[in-house]
Amino acid sequence: MLKILVCVKQVPDVNLVKIDPVTGSLIRDGVPAIMNPLDGSALEAAVRIKETYGGEITAITMGPDNAAAVLRECISVGASQAILCSDYAFKDADTLSTSYVIGKAAKMFGEYDLIICGKETLDGATGQMGSQLAERFGATMVSSTSLIMEVNEEMGTVIAERELEGGVEVLEAQMPALFTVEKTNYQPRIPNFKGWKFARTAPITKLTADTIEGLDRNKIGAPGSGTIVPRTYPPEKAEGGMILDEGSVEKNVAKVMEILADKGLV
Amino acid sequence: MTKFDYKNMWVYIEHDGTTISTVSLELLCEARKLCDVTGDKLVAVAVDGLPEAELAKIRATGIDQMMVVHGTGYERYNNDAYTNLFTVLCQKYNPSAVFVGGTTNGRDFAPRFAARLNTGCTSDAIEVVYNPESGDIEFIEPAVGGKMMAVITVPVLRPQVGTIRPGTFKYEPVGEKAEIEVIHETVDFDPALIRTKLLKFIPEEDDGAVNLAAEEVVVCLGNGLSGSDKLGKYQELADLLGGKLGCTRPVFDRGILPFKQMIGQSGVVVKPKLLVSFGVSGAINHTAGMKDAGTIIAVNSDPDAAIFGVADYGIVGDMDTVCDMMIEALKARQ
Amino acid sequence: MAKFNPVTPEIAEQLKAIVGEKRFQYGANVKEEYSHDEMPIYGKFPPEAVVEVETTEEVSKIMKICNDNLIPVTVRGSGTSLTGASVPIHGGLVLSTARMNKILSYDMNNMAVTLQPGVLLQDLAADVEKHGFYYPPDPGSKTSTVGGNIATNAGGMRAVKYGSTRDYVLQLTVVLADGRVMEIGKTVTKSSTGYSLTHLMVSSEGTLGVITQMTLKMVPKPSKNISALLIFENLEDCVATVPKIRIANLDPQSIEFMDADIVRSSTVFTGKQLFPEKYSGKNVDASILVTLVGEDDDELANRVEKLANLAEAHGAIDTLVVDTPTLKTEVWAARSAFLTSIEGDAKLMDELDVVVPVDKFAPYVLFVRKQGEELGLTVRNFGHAGDGNLHIYTCSNDKTLDEFWAANNELMDRCYEECKRIGGSMSGEHGVGHGKVKYLKESVGDIAFGLMQGIKAVFDPNGILNPGKVCS
Repeated sequence: MLKILVCVKQVPDVNLVKIDPVTGSLIRDGVPAIMNPLDGSALEAAVRIKETYGGEITAITMGPDNAAAVLRECISVGASQAILCSDYAFKDADTLSTSYVIGKAAKMFGEYDLIICGKETLDGATGQMGSQLAERFGATMVSSTSLIMEVNEEMGTVIAERELEGGVEVLEAQMPALFTVEKTNYQPRIPNFKGWKFARTAPITKLTADTIEGLDRNKIGAPGSGTIVPRTYPPEKAEGGMILDEGSVEKNVAKVMEILADKGLV
Repeated sequence: MTKFDYKNMWVYIEHDGTTISTVSLELLCEARKLCDVTGDKLVAVAVDGLPEAELAKIRATGIDQMMVVHGTGYERYNNDAYTNLFTVLCQKYNPSAVFVGGTTNGRDFAPRFAARLNTGCTSDAIEVVYNPESGDIEFIEPAVGGKMMAVITVPVLRPQVGTIRPGTFKYEPVGEKAEIEVIHETVDFDPALIRTKLLKFIPEEDDGAVNLAAEEVVVCLGNGLSGSDKLGKYQELADLLGGKLGCTRPVFDRGILPFKQMIGQSGVVVKPKLLVSFGVSGAINHTAGMKDAGTIIAVNSDPDAAIFGVADYGIVGDMDTVCDMMIEALKARQ
Repeated sequence: MAKFNPVTPEIAEQLKAIVGEKRFQYGANVKEEYSHDEMPIYGKFPPEAVVEVETTEEVSKIMKICNDNLIPVTVRGSGTSLTGASVPIHGGLVLSTARMNKILSYDMNNMAVTLQPGVLLQDLAADVEKHGFYYPPDPGSKTSTVGGNIATNAGGMRAVKYGSTRDYVLQLTVVLADGRVMEIGKTVTKSSTGYSLTHLMVSSEGTLGVITQMTLKMVPKPSKNISALLIFENLEDCVATVPKIRIANLDPQSIEFMDADIVRSSTVFTGKQLFPEKYSGKNVDASILVTLVGEDDDELANRVEKLANLAEAHGAIDTLVVDTPTLKTEVWAARSAFLTSIEGDAKLMDELDVVVPVDKFAPYVLFVRKQGEELGLTVRNFGHAGDGNLHIYTCSNDKTLDEFWAANNELMDRCYEECKRIGGSMSGEHGVGHGKVKYLKESVGDIAFGLMQGIKAVFDPNGILNPGKVCS
């Protein structure tokens, strides 16, 4: 039976995040926490594979306790196991340490033939997790997957389409394989009542730094991260609503072209 | 070994055997500036097989060293061989930084070899600055959907691995150095260990269909447009800007452009990087569909037109005249 | 009908003096957008002049001038009407309230908000929510003005639970045709004070007076919501379930109906397959989207369960539950794209906005489908099933304009007649405008129509307010 791991993340809906015009800081009040949209596509891809070939889906996430909500979404459409890695010690983890924790935690529950992630997250958008998780699992890496076309359990292979800049490549990948998926063909489905109801109270396995087997404390959280974010700042503001008055239409046009050139838009 | 013992900055030269990916050349130019500050050597790392004309483009960026990679496993990009290659080379040479173009393939293997080397990796930077105090490169990236800029560094580990967004830097070669050291490295990767097989490649087809929602540049025509006979010049402007034409409801109603090019609440909602609007009054039904564009330039003969309220920059004037001037200016730039 | 006078240059000067040059358009300077609404098939009628008013005093002065000179006045918000209601078919003056867009004050204890008529519905809804309340009326066009909503008694999806705009109007400031200013209504919840002039203004489409300020009722904001999509293999089963949902005491906020055609158009238009067309190997012919609101997760879940059981008992293929912020946003965006996707598909289009008794909804939908087939028109429909309000769009891509009108008028005649026969009303929330005057008379009958005309004459003896609309 195919064992499928789906890796998901809860993110703030950044489309709704506003910037305080005075302080320049992020206003997160009232911004809902959602499943990273491309992770929804990853989940959909997993569910379709399960529908076609059979199999068992395990969902995993790292985050605060309320990140269980995104695992319940996974359960509502067919995940049979859900793992939440939650510990203060995981705080401020970058992809290097997050992939380490996820890898260690998921392996406690067996091996996986297919590991599926969203291509990138809405908030961090590094797009690094898939590649680094592939390293943790020793899996074949297929990024920017637009369609998983065929899974051949006997041969241990998967045929998938991968979106590149100039076209699409069709690859045959050996399992275990990790796919990061694009939205293209994977609109997440709406769960049915039965799945939704079950998910409301379904058990979720919570793991902490102490309960994940063989975890090296130096490799988790901030100490285990390769990168830090020393500071953030608001992007330069546009001088909104400015009607140019350089003396003549010619000069106004010249000014606009100059502005566009400065912004790298021409 | 501390981070200060790692020397030199590498740029991965992505190529298909005949042409170098533009982003690699852009990166060389930017990394050259960094090396000028830090005193590191600029090293171009390329798999063998590039024609002389392309190699000349690399040399022209002022590289100090050219590392040519030989061996099996690299004919076609694959995650397995390229991850291994950079792991092996970095372990041998200990570079301070490795820059990789943020193409789909670049972002496919860079994080993985960084993980294998247990070092930090950053993604999609649009600016790189050297901080002499810490000795780290500051990778500056848009975050939270572009609402914030984040500075990312790799404070302890080395090499600093970073992918850079294509089109961010300019290819402005400073000129070839008199002496360029050429190193030949052979790293064989057993083709049997490559776990992906390319079955076929389907090049992207341009079916000519307009999908405004996905365009990065939109030229929008409003009811100030005198007639379809003037469409040509706006099409020319859109072509020069690398964008497509859109319109407001009246222009659609007049049968000048099809519905799928109508921008607004009851049409297409667009979020291009640049929207240039001509003869648009700025009714809310329209602006609801375009106000989130990155930069909005509005041209209207009426200084009180509501469109100026949502525009970043406005020009009061005859739209046809302004369009002609913009075309001229763009042609002059080319 | 009185013979109207043109806006002469002298009168234009007088009008301009009231609002100033920047807020006045005359003759060739009148912008094109004022000559039509969102149903341009009813023709374009440019006004002779446009004033963009900012105060009640300005409106009063302008009305006096127009009344004295017999100049027609058409009040316009953001022009999102679908019946030509805001189009000056007799020329004259368009009085735009778009600049009267301020929310003036909140009365928290009495749950009331006072505002100007040009405030956009979306801005009011957002602002009210910011204050912790809810303004329930939600017609599809979120960029319509609240003044326009009152003038057409706009409803929307939440009307099932909350009623339509009429139920939220407490107090109005109205400028009469001759320029007198009247304040009607009170910020209280009950009133037994003679004829309700407030209610008379609601749905009057600018034929009785100009609304320049209003106080509206708000309700406490429900803290949670959840939607369920009930999918059916056939339309009759689907629609037959609607009355059952209503009597099951589930207190839905909205019950929306969609058939397979509209789902397909919407999918093609948005590029997203959100509502299933096939499910468990079965074709989905029709679906209903039910939204429940409440304060408690478990209590809501109970109602969802009852709903799912009820759906199953009435032949639904399955019930899908929309419970994540992402799905909620996507589902309502897809629902909102229905009209746009129809517009995108069709070169020629007209619409009906009938309301039929809920138990006649299914046969009526089938009746309309059949008429479309007979007359060679594409018929798309969706609607507020919970209150029997069906939006029917007739479309054609291959007919000439004349052919379309011939077929369309025949279809309209048949559909309105059938609607009347089964006890329905000719418009639920879009109004009459000038596109539907003929059907209003047929729908309400001669006596009622005559009374309406009598009321109109009392308010506006010279007939200058939005002539040619509703009953004038």
